[in-house]
Amino acid sequence: MKLAVVGKGGSGKTTTSSVIARTLARGGMAVVALDCDSNPNLGISLGVGDEETERLVSMRQALDEGEEAHAPTWDTLLSRYGSDGPDGVRLAVVSRIDNPEPG
Amino acid sequence: MRLAFVGKGGAGKSAIAGTFARILAREDHKVLAIDSDPLPGLAFSLGLAIDRSPPIPDDAVIERKAGEEGPRWRLNPDIDPFEAVEQWSVEAPDGVRFLQFGKITIEPRDLWRPQMAFRFVINKLPAGRWNVIGDLPGGTRQAFTGWGSWANTVLIVVEPTAKSLLSGRRLARMADIDPENPKRVMVVASKVREPDDVEMIAKGTGLEVIATVPWDEELAEAERQQLAPIDFAPASPAVRAVESLVERLSEERVA
Repeated sequence: MKLAVVGKGGSGKTTTSSVIARTLARGGMAVVALDCDSNPNLGISLGVGDEETERLVSMRQALDEGEEAHAPTWDTLLSRYGSDGPDGVRLAVVSRIDNPEPG
Repeated sequence: MRLAFVGKGGAGKSAIAGTFARILAREDHKVLAIDSDPLPGLAFSLGLAIDRSPPIPDDAVIERKAGEEGPRWRLNPDIDPFEAVEQWSVEAPDGVRFLQFGKITIEPRDLWRPQMAFRFVINKLPAGRWNVIGDLPGGTRQAFTGWGSWANTVLIVVEPTAKSLLSGRRLARMADIDPENPKRVMVVASKVREPDDVEMIAKGTGLEVIATVPWDEELAEAERQQLAPIDFAPASPAVRAVESLVERLSEERVA
């Protein structure tokens, strides 16, 4: 299953995603939760907390600033830039925050 | 006054910005309300149920010719920013002019040209002719660089939730990102229900809370009915709170 949750800001995307992820994980599935929001908050709803969420975000930022090499594979990406949340959900932050627009 | 509302999605930016613009216009000030979110938002809160904005023409931006200096894309020199704003905007109630950039529609259309023209025009708009009230997209992407560079005051709208606070903190950290366009940054506490919510928001963002907009069922009902809060519930606590906010910022108004 590869599921994307989209919608207007504040409509409940992050909350919905986190509950789906945790519910699937509790049912025994291996779950990866990807935060693709340019203002990543999924960690809070998943229950990993503010600090861990911000740590993942800064690791993602460091990738753009050239301090880290890009992960060569999916597994490396998840182990290097991910974090284990409650119920064993693996969380990774995909988007960077201050994305300057083109032009 | 060049005021931008930013904050996490759903915090109440559009409702507050639209109400703010209407109140300011009622006080006989020239108001331009701008919406740079590719998704719908501000029009409803201003009281424009049907948006009849004319499309911004594709030739409003032109490409640098071979041998010329400067950036690759620029505003068409035939365009006067002040006139362009008059032409591309529509009139909302109370005489507010409403300008938005290209919205995402079902027809596939290249939006970057109109969006870039929108940005050039706003950035070149002569100071002192309009009070510009901007509703920026949720999140951190446009807030302080590029799209938000026209603003001199930025109000971060924060509701008392962990995610909204985290977004508010991130936005507060980004406030100095563009030293060429220094900004005054303050917080509007939104959807406040509990007595200690405001303190939590002040502490969580580290910024001055300039206004407190309470949780208001009437505002929620206005959103449900696609009506402007100021039309649906002019005496509601939330609209009253925005009136106080307009008063608070009154020294910045352009008559």
